[in-house]
Amino acid sequence: MKKVITTFPAMALGMFISFFMGTGVYHIVLADQAASLTNVQNNAQPAAVQDTQSAATQVTQNAQVDTSNAGVTVKVAPGELLPVSIKLLNFGGGKKVDVSITYSIINSRGDEIYSTSDTVAVETTASFVKTIQIPFGTPPGNYRAKASITYQDQVVPATTEFPFIVENKIIGLFQSDFYLYGGITALVSICMVFLGSFIVRRQKASRLTPFDYSTVPYEQRIYFEMVSDTIMQMRLRVGDTALEIASHIDGLQIDQKTGKVLNISENPSKIIATLVSRYDKVLGEKVNFSFRPPAPPSANQPPSKT
Amino acid sequence: MSNNSQKTILIVEDDDSFRDIMVRALESKKFKTLQAVNGKEGVEKALSDHPDLIIFDLLMPVMGGMDAFKKVREDAWGKNAAVIILTNQNATSEMLIQDIVTYKPFHYLVKSNERIYDVVKKIEDILANESNKQ
Repeated sequence: MKKVITTFPAMALGMFISFFMGTGVYHIVLADQAASLTNVQNNAQPAAVQDTQSAATQVTQNAQVDTSNAGVTVKVAPGELLPVSIKLLNFGGGKKVDVSITYSIINSRGDEIYSTSDTVAVETTASFVKTIQIPFGTPPGNYRAKASITYQDQVVPATTEFPFIVENKIIGLFQSDFYLYGGITALVSICMVFLGSFIVRRQKASRLTPFDYSTVPYEQRIYFEMVSDTIMQMRLRVGDTALEIASHIDGLQIDQKTGKVLNISENPSKIIATLVSRYDKVLGEKVNFSFRPPAPPSANQPPSKT
Repeated sequence: MSNNSQKTILIVEDDDSFRDIMVRALESKKFKTLQAVNGKEGVEKALSDHPDLIIFDLLMPVMGGMDAFKKVREDAWGKNAAVIILTNQNATSEMLIQDIVTYKPFHYLVKSNERIYDVVKKIEDILANESNKQ
């Protein structure tokens, strides 16, 4: 809440103009030509308050100004419309006053690049929205939208302004937003690619790691390893279908998730041949086998397979 | 590989064109090569020349590759000879699986699964490991 203590002449005029930019609201105690404001508390940042020479009755006026969105940065592209909401209050004191409002756009060097004006008749209060088209070809940069009012018997000129940014658009997005969102999208994409690659490598590595069958009796171990490697080889080529096929081989029991061989209850050579044959028929895939070189004969320490 | 020129590879293969491709690929890596067109000739050359590694095809005239492989394994030198089976035949027979388990080649490779240079790489790896053991 902002309180403005004003000293009014006989015909006190309090005038407030608010600029609404899209969702942003710019609060401006514009000017008070006839009125004289001797004190401003909680000064609104864009306020231009002019003192007057009048000596008058001191009135405390609850000029409440909403400042909730005052910090919003307004961006507009060349050729687009800049909406400005105007509100004139405490005008006229019962009779109509013709008020001329001049709108102008000023660049960062202080040059006026656009100007237009309207005249409105105000009795006590008036509010409306004025749209200003930013000229095509306006270079990107920081600008100010300025409004000033004049009316009969005006004592002090009243102006107010607010900053805004002119920025080109790319595919419907402001350039800065485009680069921001594009950068975020690229970053997320790169992260996803790395994450995906990491997961695939990890899965592949886990599937390439041979299971340990050292607890299986030596005579059976090589068959466990051959079946296990065959399943692993097929799983790398065709995915989990390899597990499904293996799980339906009679006499072969495997872990449904990992493919580890749990038990071989029938002739192991027959089971391997059946598994190889099934992969060939169903998937059209042929199976390689790899072994370590023949180790010197030793009943206690048999050779293991790679 | 720096010392490939000292290594000899015996290729037992009845398919002339495939054998030529293998010979060229191996010689491009400085291996010496020997060639045999069937299992019988392969056994003779293996036992007389003691190559560092033998590549057997399985389906060949006169004597098949598995029979030749068994003959080599029966020999004192051949029982630890480095052997690769390189064939078109998928191991879908129980007997073949049993032979593979019994006679243990370094690799049983189906030709359609392998590129020539992958086979050569496997050969280099085997011989490098063998050299390291010695």
